[in-house]
Amino acid sequence: MTESAAKSYAAALLPGTLPAGPNAWLNRLRAAALERANALAVPTTRDEDWRFTDLSPLYKTAYQPATFPTEMPREAIERLFVPEATSRLVYVDGHYVPEMSMTGDDGISVGTVVDSVRGAPGIAEGHIARLVGVEQDPFAAVNTAYLQHGAVVAVPRDHQASRPVQLLFVSTQPERASYPRVLVVVERGAELSFIEDYVSLAGGAYFVNGVTEIAVGENASVRHVRVQRDSEQSFHIATCGVSLARDARYASQNICFGARISRLSHNVRQEGEGTDCKLDGLALVAGRQLADTHSSIDHAQPNGRSRQLHKCIVDGAAHAVFNGRIVVRRGAQRTDSAQSSRNLLLTGKAHVDTKPQLEILADDVKCAHGATVGQLDPDHVFYLRSRGLSEAAARNLLTYAFAAEIVDRIPIASLRERLEELVTRRTQAKV
Amino acid sequence: MRNPGGKLLLEVRGLTTSVSGVEILKGIDLAVREGEVHAIMGPNGSGKSTLAKALAGHPAYKVTGGEARLDGQDLFALAPEERARAGLFLGFQYPVEVPGVTNASFLRLAYNTVQGARGKDELDPLEFDDFVREKLKLLDINPAFLDRSVNDGFSGGEKKRNEILQMALLEPRLAVLDETDSGLDIDALRVVANGVNSLHAPDRAIVLVTHYQRLLNYITPDYVHVMAGGRIIKTGDKSLALELESRGYDWLLESGRAVAA
Amino acid sequence: MSNTALQNLIDQPYKHGFVTDIESETTPKGLSEETIRLISRKKNEPEWLLEFRLTAYRHWLTMAEPKWPNVTYPKIDFQDISYYSAPKPKKKLASMDDVDPELRRTFEKLGVPLHEQKVLAGVAVDVIFDSVSVTTTYKKKLAEVGVIFCSISEAVHDHPDLVRRYLGSVVPTSDNFYAALNSAVFTDGSFCYIPKGVHCPMELSTYFRINTQDSGQFERTLIVAEEGSHVSYLEGCTAPQFDTNQLHAAVVELVALDNAEIKYSTVQNWYAGDENGRGGIYNFVTKRGLCKGVASKISWTQVETGSAITWKYPSCVLLGDDSVGEFYSVALTNHMQQADTGTKMIHVGRNTRSRIISKGISAGKSNNSYRGLVKIGPKADRARNFSQCDSMLIGDACGAHTFPYIQVQNNGATVEHEASTSKIGEDQLFYFAQRGIGPEEAVSMIINGFVKEVFTQLPMEFAVEATKLLGLKLEGSVG
Repeated sequence: MTESAAKSYAAALLPGTLPAGPNAWLNRLRAAALERANALAVPTTRDEDWRFTDLSPLYKTAYQPATFPTEMPREAIERLFVPEATSRLVYVDGHYVPEMSMTGDDGISVGTVVDSVRGAPGIAEGHIARLVGVEQDPFAAVNTAYLQHGAVVAVPRDHQASRPVQLLFVSTQPERASYPRVLVVVERGAELSFIEDYVSLAGGAYFVNGVTEIAVGENASVRHVRVQRDSEQSFHIATCGVSLARDARYASQNICFGARISRLSHNVRQEGEGTDCKLDGLALVAGRQLADTHSSIDHAQPNGRSRQLHKCIVDGAAHAVFNGRIVVRRGAQRTDSAQSSRNLLLTGKAHVDTKPQLEILADDVKCAHGATVGQLDPDHVFYLRSRGLSEAAARNLLTYAFAAEIVDRIPIASLRERLEELVTRRTQAKV
Repeated sequence: MRNPGGKLLLEVRGLTTSVSGVEILKGIDLAVREGEVHAIMGPNGSGKSTLAKALAGHPAYKVTGGEARLDGQDLFALAPEERARAGLFLGFQYPVEVPGVTNASFLRLAYNTVQGARGKDELDPLEFDDFVREKLKLLDINPAFLDRSVNDGFSGGEKKRNEILQMALLEPRLAVLDETDSGLDIDALRVVANGVNSLHAPDRAIVLVTHYQRLLNYITPDYVHVMAGGRIIKTGDKSLALELESRGYDWLLESGRAVAA
Repeated sequence: MSNTALQNLIDQPYKHGFVTDIESETTPKGLSEETIRLISRKKNEPEWLLEFRLTAYRHWLTMAEPKWPNVTYPKIDFQDISYYSAPKPKKKLASMDDVDPELRRTFEKLGVPLHEQKVLAGVAVDVIFDSVSVTTTYKKKLAEVGVIFCSISEAVHDHPDLVRRYLGSVVPTSDNFYAALNSAVFTDGSFCYIPKGVHCPMELSTYFRINTQDSGQFERTLIVAEEGSHVSYLEGCTAPQFDTNQLHAAVVELVALDNAEIKYSTVQNWYAGDENGRGGIYNFVTKRGLCKGVASKISWTQVETGSAITWKYPSCVLLGDDSVGEFYSVALTNHMQQADTGTKMIHVGRNTRSRIISKGISAGKSNNSYRGLVKIGPKADRARNFSQCDSMLIGDACGAHTFPYIQVQNNGATVEHEASTSKIGEDQLFYFAQRGIGPEEAVSMIINGFVKEVFTQLPMEFAVEATKLLGLKLEGSVG
């Protein structure tokens, strides 16, 4: 695409003016984001960060925002509910559906950006757009310009939420765009598990452009599960920004099955001393899908620890991209960081680009990284066949086992079981 | 329990300490008797950790005045390892990793050194193995711990548990736990707190240095001291911690400044 | 404990710095075709070897000294070096007992007895003093199983076909500046040949000693392991203390055929210069092994503690399918020492595997760099490499650097890299002290733990020597 087309794409996604909402601060934020979105060019493969991910198929269509669905597929949506959750926010085609949502009485404040969140007034104003800025990122700018009913989850000081919170984003209309937004604020000493679930019910080509921000307070702990199962014709571009205060812990599993082209930028800043961050990822793609995960873990303070395991299973002529950046800043002494990228190619046409990126400026650190790219080990397949399994069964079992290492780490039982089923279905070779 | 008639275990008088030429502790007085649990709290930079490290003899923390006695013995006349052998244990906020040295051999060397200093028999590797496994059971720690390198690649919670295990083995007279509760999920915090509680005995004492009030839901201190600006500005009982929980530190700091002025 | 006290703990006087007073025959300084012809004539070499040398020399003249290593030193004047020095033999050696008593005392002092009955059980030794091999022990016993172990000068005469076939086959004369120089002027070195299917019954060992102040040492070692054979080879090196620098530019070539295994261990303790960086050896060495056969294996283990400057990358070319290359290294630098060392693992064949474990310890004002290349060629399906590079800093005035180069041209490969940099400083020692453990024991425990993975690769006697070398037997030097 031409330079000028790249420049105008973000603008083409937006209306000329935004209707004013009830909150002056939000109107100001959105207006500023709109201005940035109009000024920024969308990325092309000439940008180092997008070298392997060509978005020109997306740029062919300026998807307009979906309207509130005329028919609500209630039953299909209810089947997606995670029974353990006592708080749930449901979004269909980007629109908040209060009557399907539930805010349980478990000490957590759950609401949307535009409404004052019960028990946590001012939380959205205080935190939104802090961890994912609009200055350089045209997609985040467009998302912020549309910001209205984004999900807000706030856990007060020293409160240990015993049940997970589910945030469900369902797409039902093809040829449309939606702009999911999530803000999670966990105060000092508190604990939270939450699920971000992106699902397609009707298929077709559409565009999901999401932003998630997670602020983890001093000595607080967050477990985050992100599942992306959009349609295989759709586009899914999302940024997740996380900040960790002193002694904070953050553990995430990011599971990616869907989209024709997906990109997740997952950026964690260790802003306080003694923090712990775990990023696990699984991308399972086939056909002509492309799944791109860019992560960045920024160790800005001493005694931080991070662990990352990212796995890709690539079938058909699909393409997976992983770029894992680890920064250890001067002064971030005794940082202990380990990153591993494991990739399984199921066909000769499947393709992976994996790139660790280490920038270490401190002198008392441990950093490990490893990358493997390969097909199923013929010795393993042979071993299983020698025990009576058919070749297809042996391959399916080994592929499943490769994925299960990540899925098994999901702390919510019902979701884990569902994903295990889904992985099983996706990894069955056509016999 | 408060033990006003009990034997004085640790006595600190007028302790001043500086780090890189900057005075951090500006006159600390503290008396800890056998059987007591003390909590030292305070905002960031108040000098809590400095007190712990000065008592244990970290070379970067220069004692510039005052005295400290453990069982009547002048602590500052002793090298750090002699203080440890005399029965002072410091639980570290960030324990050091030692790749290639197994936890088992490190623990045995530490145990035998401290035992030897107390004139007690050292244990050979087999005897020590039995002894340490008992302690592991008591603290609900996986025996696989022993074969791993000291703190190498341990999670935050595992490191803290390893500190508690060392405390259990060395059976100190006085344990000073420096932010042992930081960075722990509630379940790990319970394990650590249970470990501390199970080691509490009438002839020992514990000083908890903590940044977060949450720990005190699991361990009940007899005294709560609040530090600010390198001094203990208030001493109370558990109710003081609860008050801090609801009111924060600012009201105390205000009155502290008023007193100082 | 201060850094000075910590430094005292690891400082040990150099124990091998004495000079042997022995009459030597040394050629005048300077390098020309005439010098090379003279060396060749003295060694009574065949014409092909003289040609080999002259080709190398002519190529060397066109080459420039490498500038990429992370080391600095004044320009070397190659005309100010004597290229041949040999202890004058009193008469022809008929047996071990004929070795000059002064020489024998020298090696006894170094812990290398030349009497077979006193030799460490089961180790055959070739002894190189300055430019020539003095003696080789256990020759007869080895010959019984067909193993050839002798100086390379002897091999040129006694086994010319083998030498001619393999010399320069792994490290070509034009490979690099110092390899070319070595090929032109090498004077002696060891030759080992392990015939098909033979498991060499004892460790083979060469002991190198530089004695003369102005001579360079250019030894050449060639080891060939035939199909299904196995050999473990050790080398040790020391030199006297001089205020000037001596150049040591060796070439070692290893060839492993189908299913053969060569294990090559080095404890390098050349004189490192004094604490102000005066004197010491420039150790510029090319070592390379060719895993030519299928399922062959070459394993390098090195403990580098000496030399003013070390520039050395023992490498493996993994040509045969299923072949294996290993590199285990401990490099200790102190005072003003500089080391730029590492390895190259070149994966050519399918299913080839390599493993790199490098441990660098820097103290004083020294500089220690790991430089390594892992290359996976386009045909090396399912190749695997694991690299681990750990650095330990003692004090604040030293430097540690890691330069890992990874080139992967096959997308079915597995490449893993781990790196750490740690310190022995007051926080580490305080942690031990707080558990009742004093600083000497703490340093010893930390360093022992740090190097353990490499030391377990060394043959027993060498491991003991290496442990002593690292100053682990610390004797009451804590301030």
